[in-house]
Amino acid sequence: MNPAVRLKELRKTYRFAKARRGLLGSLAGLLHPQFTHLEAVGGVSFEIAAGERVAIIGPNGAGKSTTLKMLCGVLEPSGGEASVLGFTPWKERRRLAYEIGVVFGQRSQLWTELPVRDSFALLRRVYDQPEDAFARRQGDLVERFGVGALLDQPVNRLSLGQRMRCEIVAALLHAPKLLFLDEPTIGLDVTAKAAIRDFIREQSQAEGQTVLLTSHDTRDIELVCERVIVINAGRIVLDEPTEQLRRYIARKLVTLQSAAPQLALDLPGVTRRPSEPHTTILEIDTRATRVDAVIARALALGGIEDVTVEDPPMEEVVHEIYAALHP
Amino acid sequence: MAPALDDLRALVTAYAAQALAAIRQSFADRTNFALQVGAMAVNNGFWLVLWFLFFAGFKEVGGWRLPDVARLLGIVYVLFGASGVFFGGYRDLAGSILTGAIDALLTQPKPILLRLLARDSIPSAWGDIATGLVILAFSAGLDPAAAGLSLAAILIGTAAWLATTTIFASLAFWAAGARSLSRDLADFTLLVSTYPASIYSGWTKFVAFTVLPAGFVAMAPVELVRAPSWQAAAIAVGGAGAYAAVALGVWTLGLARYRRGAAVAG
Repeated sequence: MNPAVRLKELRKTYRFAKARRGLLGSLAGLLHPQFTHLEAVGGVSFEIAAGERVAIIGPNGAGKSTTLKMLCGVLEPSGGEASVLGFTPWKERRRLAYEIGVVFGQRSQLWTELPVRDSFALLRRVYDQPEDAFARRQGDLVERFGVGALLDQPVNRLSLGQRMRCEIVAALLHAPKLLFLDEPTIGLDVTAKAAIRDFIREQSQAEGQTVLLTSHDTRDIELVCERVIVINAGRIVLDEPTEQLRRYIARKLVTLQSAAPQLALDLPGVTRRPSEPHTTILEIDTRATRVDAVIARALALGGIEDVTVEDPPMEEVVHEIYAALHP
Repeated sequence: MAPALDDLRALVTAYAAQALAAIRQSFADRTNFALQVGAMAVNNGFWLVLWFLFFAGFKEVGGWRLPDVARLLGIVYVLFGASGVFFGGYRDLAGSILTGAIDALLTQPKPILLRLLARDSIPSAWGDIATGLVILAFSAGLDPAAAGLSLAAILIGTAAWLATTTIFASLAFWAAGARSLSRDLADFTLLVSTYPASIYSGWTKFVAFTVLPAGFVAMAPVELVRAPSWQAAAIAVGGAGAYAAVALGVWTLGLARYRRGAAVAG
């Protein structure tokens, strides 16, 4: 069976004029610009099977969004090959567009001041969908994603989580075989993130859709994807099943503000990070101890004034993976 | 139906759906809509009054009398208004390029330029259409032949205007500062379009038919109404067609440059 996505030595290099110092330098740059090159993606190769859910992770500027844009046909590569559902994305962009759904987390394809239903109706025209089949599919997706009550509300009155659910429904209305998601949970609160993850996973399982997502959030990866590709500086650092990476991504940082200068917490999988007095930062391996157990133990000690739970920064996760691979 | 006709029908229905959504969105804030339409009608009316006062003192300008100028303003207002209502995205097309709004549309199957033009509808443009139609009704009367010629002039001028603004906006593919520059160039072209053609000669006429093609947006279409002839029609249609071809060429080149990665992504 042919893979849904196949990349071979895909590269992207940007060229831009160097900024020179001072007014004279700027004038000289206007007359005789000097160019410099930035390698955003440096020879990336991988395959994704149909129905697989894969995450591309990496710090800012790693090249993940550029890779995604090349696979959607938005950008042309500087070199290498790619095939998405049998199409070369940058050469057959329009034909590919009927087969893929794309969600850019920070850009909306919905009309802000119109009811959600109107944006969906417009997409029917954009994708040349027959009215009856489209209505049935919209009905199914609306029920699955629980957005029935939102259809007649203007988009600018929706919460960010509600809007994102509608964005994903919009991307699925033309029954794409492959879903590209660029930072789908960015800016959402914890509850909305959890709901979006459930929807994406269940949708993919129900229809066998291939999913390729980029994210800064390790929970997106852990709860949605079966496989993780780690990119750093435009190159693949690691390509493993999610299970293999769990020791890096199944972690939480809990910050406790307390009346006492120090808190004594001794639990398996919990390590203390350096911090100021009255602040305790704990790194928790959630495979060994649950976050709620740590917080319960801390509350039992008394004098807790504030608690914050965060994911470790993606830069830190990638750095640890990189360090483990290149000791 | 032939595949090409099917494609054309799908394109037109997609455009119509998008333009309709944009128009509905422009109606969403009723107070804003009413204020913008009213303010534009007052602005256009004031401009006409100035010309009325001018012609009270001077009988003509290079052979143009008040009815000629009124017809010019009527046609320019309607074509400018129609562009704003049905293709209002032209107004910030450069911004759409510079802010990456193109990316999402590139993942969808319909032509990008048409969708960008139809993604917005400018409320004040209804004020232009209303004042333009009133002026035309008074200056050209309700004679069907004159109305037909005026309609032809408006369609030709609208095509030339959208082509011109597309060329200006496409500068954004090459220069990050093109957002305000393209708008300034468009405003200047519009300003040049609202004066009688007879005041331009020599190099100003050359500029008006090349760099700032007010000649093809207003002068040539209006001349078709003032003195109808096959030659006037050929100049108006040929000029608008040539600019439309240039606009499509520049847009295509710019979009290819954009897709090669003119902007640095993450």
